[in-house]
Amino acid sequence: MPELKLDRVTKRFKNKTAVKEVTICLQEGVYGFLGANGAGKTTLLRMLCGVLKPTSGEIRCNGIEIGKLDGEYRQMLGYLPQNFGYYPDFTAGRYLEYLAACKAVPKEQAKEKIQEMLWLTGLESEQNVKIKAFSGGMVRRLGIAQALLNDPEILILDEPTSGLDPKERIRFRNIISALSKGRIVILSTHIVSDVEFIAGELLFMKQGKIIVQGDMETVGRCAEGKVWEYLADPEEAMRLNAAFAVSNLRNEGEQVHLRFIAEECPCKGALSVPPGLEDVYLYLIGHE
Amino acid sequence: MKKGEKEEKGKMDRRIGREDLENTEIIWRFPLNEQKKEENLKTIRQAVLHKRIRKFPSFWEIVWCQMHFQSWRHWIVQGGVLLTAFLFTYMLQKRKFGENDSLAACSVFLVFAGNFCLNGVARLFSRNMAELEQTLYLNLKQMVCIRMVEAGLVDLGILALFVGTMGRGLESGLWGSLFYMSVPFLWSAVLYLHMLRISRSRFSVFWQFAVGMLCGVMSFFPACIAQAYEPKYMQIWQSLCIIGVLLLVVEVSGIFGNIERGDNLCLS
Repeated sequence: MPELKLDRVTKRFKNKTAVKEVTICLQEGVYGFLGANGAGKTTLLRMLCGVLKPTSGEIRCNGIEIGKLDGEYRQMLGYLPQNFGYYPDFTAGRYLEYLAACKAVPKEQAKEKIQEMLWLTGLESEQNVKIKAFSGGMVRRLGIAQALLNDPEILILDEPTSGLDPKERIRFRNIISALSKGRIVILSTHIVSDVEFIAGELLFMKQGKIIVQGDMETVGRCAEGKVWEYLADPEEAMRLNAAFAVSNLRNEGEQVHLRFIAEECPCKGALSVPPGLEDVYLYLIGHE
Repeated sequence: MKKGEKEEKGKMDRRIGREDLENTEIIWRFPLNEQKKEENLKTIRQAVLHKRIRKFPSFWEIVWCQMHFQSWRHWIVQGGVLLTAFLFTYMLQKRKFGENDSLAACSVFLVFAGNFCLNGVARLFSRNMAELEQTLYLNLKQMVCIRMVEAGLVDLGILALFVGTMGRGLESGLWGSLFYMSVPFLWSAVLYLHMLRISRSRFSVFWQFAVGMLCGVMSFFPACIAQAYEPKYMQIWQSLCIIGVLLLVVEVSGIFGNIERGDNLCLS
């Protein structure tokens, strides 16, 4: 079972520090990285894949620095980049054949594996279609298929569900849940529902740092007593909307039902409610 | 004890010793904890079950993989370039062009051939593929190496063909024609690779074509200077060749440096 350890990992670009001294240990399970755009998630994932080199700090897999493991590490890896690349003149089948060969999947296993992945991602009937004819969702599914081709022990998916419709997203979540045994699965997203049900551990990133880490229960405790529901008249609703991070707002007749985040009870009659992951996200990331 | 008795006892001892040795395994076996043994075997069996056996392909398998998945267009272009080079040499020899014209024509052809061949390297950086390719077992660096060697071999083949067939009949000889032909080729390769290095994943077909045309036009430049191929300017050609080689090394190492750092492989 692989173990990934990040030790004070920092990545600096010319005039920006994208990731600041991140120290975490990842073992078997699904990890959900949540954070706003520009929080450093993608940079961290790229370092985990070996695409980017940390400015300082070390990433070790089973105690060995990943740069030293070189090809051995890459053979354990399945990666879906945020900007997923493909050769448009390749058919889906040939594209997967190409990547299977580059991933050193033995020829005799590759054919079987490709069919399995095409079936898993619902692209079986499209295997002879050129990728340039694919929709955004189909390309994304192809990306998921290629990431799983080599049966990776470390699966890194950057914004895996962007461009997928709700049905495809549920299908994807089920695939990940089914495949999570015996591997490290790292998902990066800003769509809370993507990780809410499948991630065993949630990591919230803000300005290059991991600000909170833990399972749903631990993370939920951060926002306990800070989520409020209130039925307000439209004027007051506008005032509250401007003053607090509102996670939900809906009209109920003449009045407006608000769900928002506040450190203390903001107005008489507001009800404290148990936080959901979206509330926690808003409290940690969106609420400044 | 009498002497006879002593001998008899000695024989007996030796016999016992031999028998003991034969039965050492039984006599000196440590008592085994069968339960612990089973537990340990179970752990080992489980570790074996979880151990993933991974295959590491050989060098030739890696090369084959890169060749096999090249598009048919690529092979048509490579084959076409080589075939055209043969026909081109044949035509130049048949029609007996002037020395300067032959050298200029060969230089321009070599420049275009070089750019066509480098197209295989540029493809690796196209369509955001670089980031993904860098995470594969056969990573981008290795792929670029293979494609560069392939392009280099085709180019060297054409250069050798031109120098071998055309150079003999020229006043400047084999050595001179080698410099005259390789300088425009080297400088165009430098420009092509430089564009590839600085343009990240945006080195589109349009840019490749534009750079190719620019290189072609530039390689005509020596032909416009009346005495460019005269032996007295050989030192300038040699200097340009050395600078070209050095710049080529800089560009190639720059590309590998970019891959190593990774910053330029990613779009955002």
